Amino acid sequence: MKTIEEINQKIKEGEAVVVTAAEMTQIVQQKGSKTAAQEIDVVTTGTFGAMCSSGAFLNFGHSDPPVKMTKTYLNGVEAYSGLAAVDSYLGATQINQNPDIGLDYGGAHVIEDLIRGKEVELIAEAYGTDCYPLKKIKTYITLDNINQATMINPRNCYQNYAVAVNSTEETLYTYMGTLLPNYGNVTYSSAGELSPLINDPYLETLGVGSRIFLCGTEGYIIGEGTQHFTEADRHKGVPVTPSGTLMLKGDLKKMNPDYVRGGTMPRYGPTLYVGAGVPIPILNEEIALRTAISDEDIKCRIFDYGVPRRSRPVVKETNYKELKSGKIEINGMEVPTSPLSSYKRAALVAEELKKWIEKGDFFLSSPVKMLPNQGQIVKPLNISKPSKMVKDIESKPVIITHPTDPVKEVALKLVENNINHLPVVDSNGRLAGIVTSWDIADAVARGKTKLEEVMTRKVIIAREDESVDIIARRIDKHNISGLPIVDKDSKVKGMITAEDISRLIGKNK
Amino acid sequence: MKAWLKFLPSIINKSIISDTMKLYDIDFNILKANITPRGGKMLVDISGPQESESISFMEEKGIEVTPVLKVVKKDSEKCFECGACVSLCPVNAIGIMDNWDIDIDDQKCIGCGFCISSCPTRAISLME
Repeated sequence: MKTIEEINQKIKEGEAVVVTAAEMTQIVQQKGSKTAAQEIDVVTTGTFGAMCSSGAFLNFGHSDPPVKMTKTYLNGVEAYSGLAAVDSYLGATQINQNPDIGLDYGGAHVIEDLIRGKEVELIAEAYGTDCYPLKKIKTYITLDNINQATMINPRNCYQNYAVAVNSTEETLYTYMGTLLPNYGNVTYSSAGELSPLINDPYLETLGVGSRIFLCGTEGYIIGEGTQHFTEADRHKGVPVTPSGTLMLKGDLKKMNPDYVRGGTMPRYGPTLYVGAGVPIPILNEEIALRTAISDEDIKCRIFDYGVPRRSRPVVKETNYKELKSGKIEINGMEVPTSPLSSYKRAALVAEELKKWIEKGDFFLSSPVKMLPNQGQIVKPLNISKPSKMVKDIESKPVIITHPTDPVKEVALKLVENNINHLPVVDSNGRLAGIVTSWDIADAVARGKTKLEEVMTRKVIIAREDESVDIIARRIDKHNISGLPIVDKDSKVKGMITAEDISRLIGKNK
Repeated sequence: MKAWLKFLPSIINKSIISDTMKLYDIDFNILKANITPRGGKMLVDISGPQESESISFMEEKGIEVTPVLKVVKKDSEKCFECGACVSLCPVNAIGIMDNWDIDIDDQKCIGCGFCISSCPTRAISLME
């Protein structure tokens, strides 16, 4: 048994034995947890991943004449300014005001540019008061010439995370990166055995006030993060799905761009890659054993991101050893994997923190309050007006046509029924294609007579149990105007069109 | 060599590829293909002693042959080795090394550019 005070005394004397979590796994395997607990004082962890729930409070200082900023834009990215006169919070995922830039340069990029010492344009708007008369300012700031720049990240360092795959037939662009169709690739985010909270699964050594490594400088845990969750299934103590989180604080002015980076998840949006490392004091054998967890023993679940619902179906359970091997087997196929967080930088974070402690530049702090390690659940947001389902759309008689039908007959069907889309079904009643009034016009113009020659065979479809909002997104994404509603046997149940959705929105007002 | 083969609708019914393979005894590996009655494209890797003769033959028969000359390069200042690109490469040209560096193999790269748009820091670009 050791105490944090005793460990700090050893750090002061330059005698503390510090190893990274990856090294600790080997040490405990070779020497056993009892010896390791006696010999090792601190285990350092590290992660360098996309942490969207990040941002910074900035205090710009007062101008002359003074201004009460109500809207602020930094390099075209809006920061929240509904606090006092010259404070604002710049969120990492805020996108650019300029639609031509949009997702390519957002809050995370501004944070990186500030840390790199670059000049950033500040535009502020105000309504003007007796004490703050100015209504608009435009100027340039740098990290050096503003008062404070404090990173406060509401939710970082997820204890384990979901693994993503896509079962649909189209490429998806998500916060888990680009997901190829038909289980084409797998993406994961956790650093595995180096990840901070995985090495202290019951949160026995960290809490409010714990000093940590944050983006190249010292930072602090200021509480449990948002969506902190303690009730997940566990394997060898470690949650197998996303669980505990941390709220972190650090001084932007002292940060190092090697350990923080702005980026954009393609067609999803900006995010901040945060380098964070937590030192774990080895106070007893139990803690030593927990920090020795190996990638193979850290299980996680692969979820199907092709289902855009809150609860996504689990495809299978895996572990980080398998994920890091670069390929994984799903439904008998070998599927390549991509980490989304940098394991190389995570290891650098753990190494750097180790060096700081060995040199006596960094001391451990006792938490002033422990983080909740039980009874914390994540509540869903209930929408007061529940999302309408495709099956809730007023049903109309199903009108269909067949591939061998003459174009003229199909044209008549469209006109008589006053519709623009017709699902084409084969002799077994299964969907074979779709034809629109535009296709018929095309057929007439080019002298084609058979429906087969003009129908579209690759059809974007809707399912009865899908939300109408999802269909609206699909219509927009594929630039189409109607989708056949199809059951699990590919039997056509009807059509849903952009008009149907407009009508539904109109009625619901 | 890697090359794109372009087929016009007029030649899709002809067995030019198998004729080429039989005549010139080349290794012919199809990396990507999309051919419909309206024509199409195929990305192939051709090798063998009669490689250039086989290409002349295909061109004679109406296939447009465009060798792949471009490969992607990463900017090591911008890349922080996240690995998002690795599983997206259609020809396994991007790998994670033992020291967790991301490496792009020029020999395997076909310059499709899919990794370029997937990179969170736009660290990859196309080079001649």
